[in-house]
Amino acid sequence: MRSLLDFIVRHSHVFLFILLEAVSLVLLFGFNDRQKLAFMTSANSISGTMFDWRAGMESYFSLKKENEMLVAENSRLHGRLLELADSAVAFQAASLGGGTVMAARVIDNSVRKDDNYITINRGSTDGVGKGMGVYGSTGVVGVVMLSGRHNSIVLPVLNGKSSISCKVKGGGSFGFLEWKGGDPYHAVLTDIPYHSDVKAGDTIVTSGYSSVFPEGIPVGYVDAVEPSANGYWLKVSVLLAADMGNLGWVYVYARRPDPELEELKESIPK
Amino acid sequence: MDTVSFLKRLGALLGLALLQVLFLNRINLFGYVTPLFYIWLIVRSDTSMSRSSVLLWSFFLGLAIDLSTGTPGMHAASATLLGLVQPPLINLFVTHDRRDVIRPGRISMGQGAFAGYIFVATVIHHMTYFLLRSIPLEDWFVLVAKVVLSSLLTFVIMLVVDISFSKSDRSRHPVK
Repeated sequence: MRSLLDFIVRHSHVFLFILLEAVSLVLLFGFNDRQKLAFMTSANSISGTMFDWRAGMESYFSLKKENEMLVAENSRLHGRLLELADSAVAFQAASLGGGTVMAARVIDNSVRKDDNYITINRGSTDGVGKGMGVYGSTGVVGVVMLSGRHNSIVLPVLNGKSSISCKVKGGGSFGFLEWKGGDPYHAVLTDIPYHSDVKAGDTIVTSGYSSVFPEGIPVGYVDAVEPSANGYWLKVSVLLAADMGNLGWVYVYARRPDPELEELKESIPK
Repeated sequence: MDTVSFLKRLGALLGLALLQVLFLNRINLFGYVTPLFYIWLIVRSDTSMSRSSVLLWSFFLGLAIDLSTGTPGMHAASATLLGLVQPPLINLFVTHDRRDVIRPGRISMGQGAFAGYIFVATVIHHMTYFLLRSIPLEDWFVLVAKVVLSSLLTFVIMLVVDISFSKSDRSRHPVK
């Protein structure tokens, strides 16, 4: 203790020096504009860095809570998305004068078999019936084959029995889209006359000639054209517009029945 | 320190401060060179003074100049630093008996030692002052130029003053 006091007394000038310099620096940084500004700027950047560090540390501790919040937010948004999908369908129905459209969710799907089928969660009680067209946001998916009360089986493009009336967008040629099995990304457009001006890159859309689909829904894009075996037709390879292996929501198109048209068709002699 | 020498020193402080503020601060050669001759008071502190009293004199000298030039803290901080290093600086250039009182000068220290002593003291003080003054640092070159050129001018002034005053000292107290 005594030696400590001795030390302080012997070095009292050092403490005096520190005190006087402290006073000087307080004056310097307190009353000179340039220095004051420089001091405050660097003080700000130091405290800013500290805040960053602290926020970084804290974010680790709150990760779990953050995650729970995100999950809750996500499910809320998902619900909202479904509502919006419904209203989008209603809107689209209003714009499609010739029919109605309803959204359906794909609940079963296959792409690897020779004859694939899709199951959707709408049935006869929702107004889904045989022969209605089904398409996704990017393109045609298939045609309803069977309707249960609450579910329906869709015959997709990727099925040997499927045949969809199509045409080349912007041109007159039309034919049928068929699938020969195997490759789930490509189908073949048949019955295109040999002289047709079809080239790779053309867009294939629904023709609207049948009552299955409205006109102009994308089906796929031409990626190769070659003559058929007998030379009268073209064999057009089509890259499908819809990603058949990854279907979530689809739309079912129901054309409004036209009694007069039905009657006329009935009257064609068989 | 008795009252008379205190008052004499106080007079020297006020005189040097006035000289600095009214005359020397007006000198601004080439925009860089301003002699800070006021530190003469600190440089000339003799070895009989306690270190604390050197510090206090230095601080108040600097503060007096700060208050009259509107640069609070700059001269006070740099003068106080010089006040801290001044006593050991004398010991660095002359070896002397503790009982000998040395009042730094050309005659008491020897020409070379005195020149070295005031040169180092001046550079330490000027470096601190111009560094504090130029915060936030923008141009190192200008800072170095100011320190070097102003130090040289202050150094020359102190040598000249010492020569002229030590002559008069000697005439009053002829060396036997």
